[in-house]
Amino acid sequence: MIQQSSSQPVISLRSIHKSYDDLEVLRGVDVRACEGDVISLIGSSGSGKSTLLRCINMLEICQHGEIRFCGETVRWSEDGPDRVPADKAQVVRMRTQLSMVFQSFNLWAHMSVLKNVIEAPVTVLKLKRGEAIDEAMALLEKVGIADKANVYPAQLSGGQQQRAAIARALAMRPRALLFDEPTSALDPELEQEVVKVIRQLAGEGRTMILVTHDMKLARDVSNHVVFLNQGIIEEEGPPETVFGSPKTERLQKFLRASVTA
Amino acid sequence: MVMSCADPSVLEGIAWLSCYLMTGKHMAFYLSFCTVLALLTFTAPMAIIFGLLGAVGSRARLLPVRLIGRGYISIVRGVPDIVFFLFVPIALDQGFEYLRHRIMCPEVLEPVRQGNDFVVCTIAKMPLNSDPQWLHEIYGFALAVLSFALVFGAFAGNTFRGAFEAVPRNQLEAADAYGMNRTQVFWRVLLPQMWIYALPGLSNLWMILIKVTPLLFLLGVEDIVYWARELGSAKTSAFSFPHPDWRLWYFMVLLLFYLGLTKISEIVFARLMERYNLGQATLGGNQLVGQLGR
Repeated sequence: MIQQSSSQPVISLRSIHKSYDDLEVLRGVDVRACEGDVISLIGSSGSGKSTLLRCINMLEICQHGEIRFCGETVRWSEDGPDRVPADKAQVVRMRTQLSMVFQSFNLWAHMSVLKNVIEAPVTVLKLKRGEAIDEAMALLEKVGIADKANVYPAQLSGGQQQRAAIARALAMRPRALLFDEPTSALDPELEQEVVKVIRQLAGEGRTMILVTHDMKLARDVSNHVVFLNQGIIEEEGPPETVFGSPKTERLQKFLRASVTA
Repeated sequence: MVMSCADPSVLEGIAWLSCYLMTGKHMAFYLSFCTVLALLTFTAPMAIIFGLLGAVGSRARLLPVRLIGRGYISIVRGVPDIVFFLFVPIALDQGFEYLRHRIMCPEVLEPVRQGNDFVVCTIAKMPLNSDPQWLHEIYGFALAVLSFALVFGAFAGNTFRGAFEAVPRNQLEAADAYGMNRTQVFWRVLLPQMWIYALPGLSNLWMILIKVTPLLFLLGVEDIVYWARELGSAKTSAFSFPHPDWRLWYFMVLLLFYLGLTKISEIVFARLMERYNLGQATLGGNQLVGQLGR
């Protein structure tokens, strides 16, 4: 039905449910990302798109549903609303292969840019420091801020911080990248330097799931767009269809609002 | 010039004064400054360790650990310091001696509390009666350090707890998202970022610690205040160096000593603050960025 590559999915979410107390944020969502897929999650605020992304690397715990990563199914302590991941090692393994880029960058404030990039490779992946530094410098070069390696994040512009955060994500050599509204905290002109990097990554064939408000970005980089509304998938498909001929009224309304915004 | 202090009554002026300032009691006075400095040097790191343990304990997931941490902080904070300074050394001393008594002389069956007396067998004494005087003094000093550290550790613990809570959530979340475990998050992110929020509180505590060191006399340690009163009070001609009431001058020396100490501390804390502010998106951090230039 959906035109996607047919290899084994890198990330597969089945029937994800998540609620905070009485508030149901996700009400049964299915998403599959295969190698090289770039999936954009769009929807209005409160539609659950960020929560869905955070459920993938278990920063949030979904109460029902199945998460599979590279063929490995997440094991839970029990069935039911109080479940937690049963295997900490599995969580760590998944998180190291699923790098996240946050809306507000979340670079570690007490470390220079270079230290931010090598931190997780050295402490979590146990990479040799020298090796990690070489790789980090190459990545900072790639995102265009190699000259800022020894500067603290607070001394950088928002666009530079987000590019540093992307370098930090890439340093983990991840199987997939998770972007949580990476450009929402940026001015339009700073946004572009980050968009450029994200485009470049999409062009390299990296697997990515992207939560965004930027419809142009979603249209340009993704091969599959998911429109979430009130915790369920209202409509999905290739960007040409979703943006070109939206079927549901809600999506039509959402897209009109996004254009005028 | 060779000076003889053998007969002070024939000396005058500078010679008299220099002999006066070299008496054995004055040496003890000078040494007591070192006692104060030593107390500070040993107490501060111990209080920080107690404080960190208390703060980490009070935030622990395990209920018993949390209760111990919270209990320590609130009990010690809730009792007047002076009471605590008097209570802890006695309690520790009797506790140690009681344990040694039970282990080392089990053949003694009489209770250790006999009327008003606390009696343990001779070999259970801490330190032994036969031990040299300096060992007794070191033991007393160690008890003093321990009680100061316990009291200030509780206050530091409260400061640390607040500082741990003040570290922005997103900093820890990023560490989680990159696969760090709880220990790594603590050592790599939480602890280094906590200091910036703890330092102002710690600097207050340090100043207060400096200023309560005269309480040492409560614990039987002869500190600078004791000696200043002792040496400064008027001496009749029965003494080798008779002089009127000079306490004013002696206390002025103490005043300068404490002022100097607190001034140095302020400078050190300002430097530390600068170091930990580096990179923080705070007002202090921003000022630094301004100095460094973008």
